[in-house]
Amino acid sequence: MPSEDSPQPTEVVSLTGAHHRFGRQHVLKGVDLTVRRGECVVLYGSNGSGKSTLLALLSTRYALRQGSYLLDGMDTARHGDETRDRLVFIGHHTHLYGHLTPVENLRFFADLRNLSPSEARLREAVAEVGLARVADKPSRWFSAGMRKRLALARMLLANPSLLLLDEPYSALDAQGVAWLNAMLIRYQEQGGAVVMASHDPDRVAVLRHLPHHLDRGILTPAPPPPRHEEPPPC
Amino acid sequence: MLKAAYRIAWKDVAGDFRRRATLSSMLFFAISVLVVFQAAFEPDRKEALRLLPGLLWATTLFTTLVGLGRVFQAEEEDGAFEGLLLASVPRGVIFFGKWLGNLLLTLLVELMILPLTMVLFNVDVWRQAGEILGILTLGTVGLTGLGTLLAAMTQGARSRETLLALLLLPLTAPLLIAGVQAMAGILTGGEVTPWIRLMVIFDVIYLALTPWAFGWLVEE
Repeated sequence: MPSEDSPQPTEVVSLTGAHHRFGRQHVLKGVDLTVRRGECVVLYGSNGSGKSTLLALLSTRYALRQGSYLLDGMDTARHGDETRDRLVFIGHHTHLYGHLTPVENLRFFADLRNLSPSEARLREAVAEVGLARVADKPSRWFSAGMRKRLALARMLLANPSLLLLDEPYSALDAQGVAWLNAMLIRYQEQGGAVVMASHDPDRVAVLRHLPHHLDRGILTPAPPPPRHEEPPPC
Repeated sequence: MLKAAYRIAWKDVAGDFRRRATLSSMLFFAISVLVVFQAAFEPDRKEALRLLPGLLWATTLFTTLVGLGRVFQAEEEDGAFEGLLLASVPRGVIFFGKWLGNLLLTLLVELMILPLTMVLFNVDVWRQAGEILGILTLGTVGLTGLGTLLAAMTQGARSRETLLALLLLPLTAPLLIAGVQAMAGILTGGEVTPWIRLMVIFDVIYLALTPWAFGWLVEE
């Protein structure tokens, strides 16, 4: 976290009074959330507490019907397309096309964002996530962990202000978790903001983060849930 | 913006060539329809010339329906459609990309079935082939334009192919009638211009309204 005497970091996310409902079910009830550059907010909460809905709202996938949401100071309701350019959302789905290779998937993603990375840069991003040996193979047959890594490679290309992650550690092996955490630490150090939903305080622990608890649509800053105890040696 | 639409279309067309899914299904379906028509009517040359516009348009309509049934299939894979909607491009551009990909595949099938029809029905219209393809293109622009929107609408429905056909047929009937009449005019020397004008009007209406309707449809 930034030290007390450091200059006040800019707000990346400024969400005020956000409500969301599906039919008659109110999923978010007046959520306020501020995330500054270099901060990582981790959302804890039980299943159905509204974590994924809040992330979908922050990604602008769901339209905000009540409240206000500024991303990098821009009103997302007015500048939907521009604000989407400033974030990367990796949810339960990886949004990849199985018939495209990792390099082609990344190029497709870059073209939709008006980025123009060179072939070398695309291959570098694929190599950075540990998929260099399958860079030209269709991603259809990739394991869930490999698909997750490829999805995360988008972040390396887009260099967004805000990274939204829904259960990012699922499907990753121990090496993958360590790699992801190292990447997130670097991203934070460069001033990137992260909002993440997780059920896994153990894996998040190495990150400098601000835990928040979401319960029945109400978000409050709270200590993380207790970490799992180490299993006794056999 | 145009680059994004082109890339979406490229992704769909390249994907189809790799999976050999939509194009081969459309082509197989078109050949089956033409063979059945030929076997059922066994027309002589004069009769075949009279039937040709209807045959071509019926085949085009059926094959378009096959293609439209699959236009959003790749997007169902691993939340890919959601990924598209998270892109920083207007919804209308996404629509144009999906439409363009489908249009290219359908035109490719039409390009292949025209000579096949001439051989199967033993009619010689090579000299008018360019005009026939022009009329088919004009009709296919509107047919796939409205069809892509309806495919997006029926994407989540259980019996989406049936629903798609039920919605598309009545809404594109004027365009199809104009297409048949324009083609008949070319083959028999009748009036063509008013029918082409009507087709252009319908194409403009469909393509002006559908991107907007698509944007409204996908917003949650």
